[in-house]
Amino acid sequence: MTLLQLVLNGLVQGSLYVIVALGLTLIFGVLVKINFAHAEFLMLAAFAGVVSIDTFNLSYGVSVLVATLVGASLGVAIEFGIFRPLRKRRTDELRPLVATVGVSILLQNLALLYFGPNPRQYQSPYMQKTIELGELYLSYQRAIVFVVAVAAICALFVFLRRTAPGRAMRAVSQDSDAASLMGINVSRIVLMTFVIGSALAGLGGGLLGPMLVIEPTVGANIIVLSFAIVVIGGFGNVNGTVIAGLLVGIIESLVTGYLEAGLSSLAIFGVLLLTLAVRPTGLIAERVEQNV
Amino acid sequence: MFSSLARQQWVRSSLPVLVAAVVIMTAPSLVTGSFWQRVIILALFNVVLAMSLNLVIGYTGLLALGHGAFLGIGAYTSAVLTTTYEWAFWAAFFVAGITAAACGLLLAVITLRLRGHYLAIATLGFAVIVYQVLMNWIDVTRGPLGIPGIPTPPNIPLGNGTELDFGLPAAHIYLAGAFAIVCYVLIRRIVNSPMGDALRAVREDEISAKSLGIRTFAWKCFAFTVAAFAAGLTGSLYAGYMGILEPSAFVLTVSFTLLAMVIVGGAGTLVGPVIGALVLTIVPEALREVGPEYRMILYGLALTLVVLFFPQGLVGIGAALRSRFRSSSRSKPDEPPSDSTGTGFAKEVPVDAS
Repeated sequence: MTLLQLVLNGLVQGSLYVIVALGLTLIFGVLVKINFAHAEFLMLAAFAGVVSIDTFNLSYGVSVLVATLVGASLGVAIEFGIFRPLRKRRTDELRPLVATVGVSILLQNLALLYFGPNPRQYQSPYMQKTIELGELYLSYQRAIVFVVAVAAICALFVFLRRTAPGRAMRAVSQDSDAASLMGINVSRIVLMTFVIGSALAGLGGGLLGPMLVIEPTVGANIIVLSFAIVVIGGFGNVNGTVIAGLLVGIIESLVTGYLEAGLSSLAIFGVLLLTLAVRPTGLIAERVEQNV
Repeated sequence: MFSSLARQQWVRSSLPVLVAAVVIMTAPSLVTGSFWQRVIILALFNVVLAMSLNLVIGYTGLLALGHGAFLGIGAYTSAVLTTTYEWAFWAAFFVAGITAAACGLLLAVITLRLRGHYLAIATLGFAVIVYQVLMNWIDVTRGPLGIPGIPTPPNIPLGNGTELDFGLPAAHIYLAGAFAIVCYVLIRRIVNSPMGDALRAVREDEISAKSLGIRTFAWKCFAFTVAAFAAGLTGSLYAGYMGILEPSAFVLTVSFTLLAMVIVGGAGTLVGPVIGALVLTIVPEALREVGPEYRMILYGLALTLVVLFFPQGLVGIGAALRSRFRSSSRSKPDEPPSDSTGTGFAKEVPVDAS
């Protein structure tokens, strides 16, 4: 494969990682908490997509919608089940992370129990057809994934910059006490963040699904990559996450293309540790983080 | 000879060790099935791993998510040295511990400027890197094929003509048990000494600790290195017991189960991780008949519920019951047990909502 082809594949893959990682980043920005079960939402959403096609004969487009909705509802569930109770008890900041590690193990194995260990195929009619652009090849699926991902990212940016709830979300992210004094209903904003962030994970599941085999461990592979992206981009930094996500997609594609598939996560986590050692605030330092 | 107080202290500190020793000595004759003997050995390994991780999470308040990586480093170091280079087991055992400790120190130096979530992610990344190295460094680790034919520890002569035969699981129970007891005693010494005070000071308030002249960075490195050393030694024993190693034994899930043992048992207490490791190793094995998924479901459920409802773990539940019982029977206010006041893996302070 040519260099350009590899970069193109990387960009497509990266745009998906961006969607998943943006959910994590949004939640971290607003709450300064990590939802470790984020990628299990992706996995369950992908299974929901598979079921809606295989069992209910829905079209691929509708199945992506179902996946997104499943993601959003899981976001609501984890906010009410884990994050809000722990917030009320004013426990330390890391406890939700540990609790959601538990949720992640739980969801993964419940899925194993219910769906079995055999991988399922997420049917999409767009996997077979390809587009040719000169020397470059792109399956319809990848093209659709890229367009939808970019559209979702743009929509999110418009939402954050131009709408009242989006501005409120950024305000809470900067200083939730001050935001609360300005009359912003912080807990409503937090809930909204979980809905949007988890819907993005669900959307990621619907889009990524046909390009993978869907099995209960699919989330575990993605969550660590998403964390790497979130850290490389700077926790809570939306712009940084987009750049880091695309970068990680391209690194993965290049390393897999020129060297070996197994080395790609070594390269990515090497970059992660390097970032943490040299520039812990991420590629684009928005502000000095308290945690560093 | 002893004053009554000194005798009481001696009893309190030695009794658990003696009881544990007796239990371990009799275990192979009480539990004869090879399946349950294997469970006991793995439980004892987990006890050491959980105790050492607790030093980092519970006492120093650093959320490290990649403890399984040090187990893997130790196990593979030992396995490669005893097979490819035909080293003696005990030499490989110590080198395994030292290699893991060196990696722990390296990770600490790189990441311990970071706190909270950043440290959690960095240690997670480290665990992924170690797993990928085990998978991809084919020349040394044979990658996914694994390393077969790892020798057991050499038989130990017992003096009276018999010897401890490591071809039998009983010998492994004795070895793992003795190792666990030694680790328990050493960790207790650390925790009950001024070193333990320094670690707890770092956990409670790093800036205040620094202002008191405690070299917080050095102490954090110390906790990391000791924990990695213990995990590396455990890895070597694990390799010697299993006889075959595959990278899949050191996936992230291993680190998460260790985290669950510490938190469920009670982080920041001495016995908490021991109880957590025993309960979370033995109970899930009893469920294996029902289905392998239930084992991990139990882990996930236990971890989530304990964090939500019993932040001090099983030990905290026990202490609460005991104090309720005592105060109702004697109506005397009960002083908190000196070591179970640790609130968990990090300080319990109201966070500003930012």
